Amino acid sequence: MDIPYTVHARPDTGLYNAKIGIWLFLASEVMLFGGLFSAYIFLRLGADYPWPVHDLDVTLGFWNTIVLIASSVTVVMAWASVKLRRYGQYKIYMAITVICAGVFMFNKSLEYKAKLKHYAVKLTDGTILTGHMPEDEHHNTIPYRIKFGEITELSLTIPVKKSAITADPVGYVIPHIEGEAPKFKTADGKEITLDDAAFAELSAAAVEKAWAEGKGSATVKLTAVTPLKAAAKPSEIFGYTADSITFRDGTTAKGKLLDDKMTLLVDGIDARGVAQPDKSLAFDHRYLGAWQPAFVANREHHIAEFEENYPTRDKEKSATLQKESLFYKIHSSTPPAADAAHGGDKHGAEAHAPAEGGHGGGHDYPTVVIDKKDITFFSNFTPKLNTYYAIYFTLTGLHGLHVVAGALVLLYFLVFNGRMLREDPEHLANRIEVGGLFWHFVDLVWIFLFPLLYLL
Amino acid sequence: MSDNIEEIQKSIKKYLIIGALLIVFTVITVWLSYVELPTHGLNILVGMIVATFKASLVALIFMHLNHEKSVIYKTLVFTVVLVFVLFVLFYFSKMDPLVFDGFYKLSE
Repeated sequence: MDIPYTVHARPDTGLYNAKIGIWLFLASEVMLFGGLFSAYIFLRLGADYPWPVHDLDVTLGFWNTIVLIASSVTVVMAWASVKLRRYGQYKIYMAITVICAGVFMFNKSLEYKAKLKHYAVKLTDGTILTGHMPEDEHHNTIPYRIKFGEITELSLTIPVKKSAITADPVGYVIPHIEGEAPKFKTADGKEITLDDAAFAELSAAAVEKAWAEGKGSATVKLTAVTPLKAAAKPSEIFGYTADSITFRDGTTAKGKLLDDKMTLLVDGIDARGVAQPDKSLAFDHRYLGAWQPAFVANREHHIAEFEENYPTRDKEKSATLQKESLFYKIHSSTPPAADAAHGGDKHGAEAHAPAEGGHGGGHDYPTVVIDKKDITFFSNFTPKLNTYYAIYFTLTGLHGLHVVAGALVLLYFLVFNGRMLREDPEHLANRIEVGGLFWHFVDLVWIFLFPLLYLL
Repeated sequence: MSDNIEEIQKSIKKYLIIGALLIVFTVITVWLSYVELPTHGLNILVGMIVATFKASLVALIFMHLNHEKSVIYKTLVFTVVLVFVLFVLFYFSKMDPLVFDGFYKLSE
């Protein structure tokens, strides 16, 4: 059966059917994005932290906007070319449109990658240090790990009845232990390698024994044949003390804490959340004490500049001034001399400097080793960092999916509809118009996303 | 729908002009975002006005909404109304019983 009214207008609506279809779809799409923009308003109004403004890479976002606008022009030109039967031109315009989509997504991937590698560490006094984790010689990030050594004993708790927390050393302990297949001795002196089979046998025997003794749970103690080392992300374990570590299955290991300090190559000190920014924990002698004069000089420079430019305005109420004066960006591993802290007016360049991008790009950052007790929270720039990054990834991610889908449809027309182009160009023109309408909608969403997430 | 050849040829020029206008307004948006207006709220307002203007150019010219059949406008009326509701929904969040004046009236 043929789909009716693909070329000619249906008498009652005056339109070919696909056009009604795409507009109904776009109406539902508007609602989808409308809901998310509404969420953006709520999250922004409810944010208890300075909402990031100009924190993303504005230059990259700007070029992506230009790329999308250009592709919007080329897709409508492709449609006009088919209408005018200029088939060669049509192919060129359509190809440019699809390439633009590729460029857009490539830039987006650069932006996402920079976010994933960039970290924010909130200190106990509210200071936020931004920066990168150290890298090995192959430019792989060395992630933050709690390191334990001299692990001699594992203590496993297995409830007799099924329970939410039951010892599962194969899944939760062994992956964090250094070296292949560590060997343990059981209470009765048998030497085992902890794998699924060995643990099943061990736990079955222990549960049977506990059942016979009328206990609720069995405790199994394993002694390491040679002292072991373990390393785990803080999120992969329940907790630790100086001489014991508890894994997420409740298994406790006796050992010695080797290292729980975080190494961070700091590229920014955000003291907006601190009552006395000069005395921020970041300027502790262990950390960035040497930067304090430069920080103070930078703040005073910006405040003086603000007072000169806007003598009547309230300094406390300017979010821009707060950011410029209290969010200090570090560009070198040696602290600048206090009087040269603001060499010339770096206003524009500084404001344009991407907070996330430019990683490793010739920059050399001071390495700071932060005590675990000074850290309240840390995360890379992903949805878990704050509500801004949550809505940023949701909106741009969904928009990116639309770019990919739209580009695939247009690419399909270009590659597989060659015969239709020759034999039924009006039908293809209508298809392109419908695909183009979707493509313009994607551009339209970006027109709002760019200022809301990058600029304002 | 502009179906005859002359009209399409004319509109090609229009599309290029609109494309250039959109780029110009993008530059303006970026520039305006660095201008320190009395409050940041004003920056947001101005930025959104420019963005809405750009969006209407895309909708009216590229999406041909300046000359479309009535059935499409009838469909879109519902969308516009519902999206407007979504955008002002935040206002109701201010009616929190904990802070809403009329809720806890102290008896005199």
